[in-house]
Amino acid sequence: MKFTINKNDLVDVLSKVQGLTNRRSNLVITENVLIKAVTGGIYLSATDLETGFEGFYPAEVDTDGIVALSARKLYEIAREFPNDRILIHEIENRWIEIGNQNVQYHIVGMNADDFPETPQINEIDFYESDAAALKKIIEECVLISGAGDDKRAHINGAFFERLNQDGGHLIRLVSTDGSRLSTSDAPCVTDNESTMAEGILIPKKGLHEVAKFLDAGGSVKIGNNTSYFIVKKDVETIVIRLLEGDFPKYNEITVKSGGHDILMSKKQFIKMLKRMSILSSENYKGAVFNFNKNELIITASNPDIGEAKEDMAIKYEGDDVEMAFNPRFFIDALSAIEEDNIILNITNEEKPCLIEAESDKNYLTVIMPMRL
Amino acid sequence: MILHLDMDAFFASVEQLDNPDLVGKCVVVGGQSNRGVVAAASYEARKYGIHSAMPIFQARERCKDLVIVSSHRRRYSEISQQVMAILGEYSPLVEQISIDEAFVDITGCDQITGSTRDTALAIKKRIKEAVGLTCSVGAAPVKFLAKIASDMDKPDGLYIIRPDEVASFVQHLPVGKISGVGKKTRSALERLGIRLLGDVQKFNEQKIIARLGKFGYRLIELSRGIDKSKVTPHSPTKSISTESTLSANTDDKTFLTTQLLGQAEEVGRQLRRKAMKAKTVTLKLKYSDFKQITRSISLVEPTQVSTVIYGKAGDLLSAETLRKKVRLIGVGVSGLVPGDTPVQCGLFDQVCDTENIWGKVDEALDHIRGKFGKDIVVKASLRRRDESTE
Repeated sequence: MKFTINKNDLVDVLSKVQGLTNRRSNLVITENVLIKAVTGGIYLSATDLETGFEGFYPAEVDTDGIVALSARKLYEIAREFPNDRILIHEIENRWIEIGNQNVQYHIVGMNADDFPETPQINEIDFYESDAAALKKIIEECVLISGAGDDKRAHINGAFFERLNQDGGHLIRLVSTDGSRLSTSDAPCVTDNESTMAEGILIPKKGLHEVAKFLDAGGSVKIGNNTSYFIVKKDVETIVIRLLEGDFPKYNEITVKSGGHDILMSKKQFIKMLKRMSILSSENYKGAVFNFNKNELIITASNPDIGEAKEDMAIKYEGDDVEMAFNPRFFIDALSAIEEDNIILNITNEEKPCLIEAESDKNYLTVIMPMRL
Repeated sequence: MILHLDMDAFFASVEQLDNPDLVGKCVVVGGQSNRGVVAAASYEARKYGIHSAMPIFQARERCKDLVIVSSHRRRYSEISQQVMAILGEYSPLVEQISIDEAFVDITGCDQITGSTRDTALAIKKRIKEAVGLTCSVGAAPVKFLAKIASDMDKPDGLYIIRPDEVASFVQHLPVGKISGVGKKTRSALERLGIRLLGDVQKFNEQKIIARLGKFGYRLIELSRGIDKSKVTPHSPTKSISTESTLSANTDDKTFLTTQLLGQAEEVGRQLRRKAMKAKTVTLKLKYSDFKQITRSISLVEPTQVSTVIYGKAGDLLSAETLRKKVRLIGVGVSGLVPGDTPVQCGLFDQVCDTENIWGKVDEALDHIRGKFGKDIVVKASLRRRDESTE
């Protein structure tokens, strides 16, 4: 195997697959990328056994072949390489030379036959979405994640479904950690008029990897079968193995059940929340929100450190309500909203608080209060 | 100056006080069966080498006429409270460190209570008159020496280490006497060639710190007679636990789980009485070969609900492969936060509901027990087979 490839192409893709190859799996070879040289270019694959990636990149190929190389070392070598073109040459069995006249590396590869096979996906109805829109909803979705050791599928995974709404099609990601939940919608284009029979559970880790490949422009194809979720760009494909499990019925909690809408300045509120979360610690995460007539007072107290209090004028005409929340949850939700104004919806101290932007209704967060 | 007061053979002395027949006899407080351990031994029993934490059967072997009495915790804590109240008359800075021990900082009190010796003697006299028991008092400029001093002249003793005596006292103090130096630290120190606290100063500080870590810093300070710890009234509770030695060794997990039920209730009740919640639940097992293990689990949200503590302790037990038969089992909680700390509610699971409902049950039971006694309401499975001993 012998080929010459554009440095930037190689560095770009290798940087994006590090999240997959650096993840611990039961197979050592998943720390490698698989490179297959064919006429006109190379196929590069990486996997963490849950999420698999494959891309095709143009290259001057002298001789065909296939190798498995350490993703991290290849990335570091390519990144620091002095020329725009990099020659990769298998001089002996699994003995790979990378270099030019001045720089020379010899790297030992692993047996390419041991590399896990990429699942073959056939006969799937793909639909199209704007890459930037998909990236946005994934980024909103992965804001909410469970503790590292939480193995529950509905927390490790995001719920994905395709819906018909107001005559248009949309894809929706729902994400929860058990205490809060968000729904993020993006439009999609499909010939298929029926909605998805059932939603699917996609690991958030895999979605996070997908987001790295999504650019500001262009569109992507999305599809799934009962085992995999697939995202396709022009020359790149990501396949994520679905999680098995049920997602809780979330529709009830994302619908406003009366309560009061409070219009607020996002910037002002987020600053207040940041100030009120300075005293929070592992044991004391809560702050008390007092919604009084036209006034919000937040107090935070941490027996180990001290207390904090701040008030802000708001438009609120309802009864006085005292609720406790983790301010961090609000900060996360607000950070994903681009508009200047947001709407909080509160009912009482037992019901969750709903947060959304004033006009863009594609992103909604529901936060459960803490019990005082 | 700081006083350290230690009641003499406290539990055993209370028993002798309440039952004059026991005076002059070898008395130990503990479980009646051979399987329990000695909670306290009278001075008569100590002459036979009997000490607390010794298994009862060993104590019996050492002294044929041993009288074993069951413990009367409530009575002990009643007397303890009287003693602590008396100490409070002499200084506002009283730090109770156990049921029968306390530090009193009498710095600056000499105008009112007289010299250190006069104050100490006055306290001893007051306690003897009020509750009829003797105690030993140690006095020193720093806490760790005061504690050692109270042990120098037991029982009914008084030992004072004056500021000008500190340096020479420290020189000749065996390190094992220092509170915090257990078997392991002591042998680590011995390997370095340190037997006396004075030896520490001959050593390279870095080496001691490298070997002992944080405790190394403290040891170096102590070797110079410096102890920065202050007498702090109401030092906050850091953990709560209870344990019991079983009447027979067993590997029956069902039976062991039943033990946890009563223990979790006890721990839960103490948590609620202190208005605290705990983040960590710990299971303790001692096997028939006296090897002991602890297993802990952290909760997502802190709790004070007995049922939750029981559930977690039960999970820990069922996850454990029992190496041998179990001799002792216990439940503890730690990572305590104030009880009014807000608890995150779940959107789908019923964390808050569990806390709420069982919290109300606990509250009702606590009230009933407060009024009619601890044993008026118990879980049915505990009543069915009451086989454990204290």
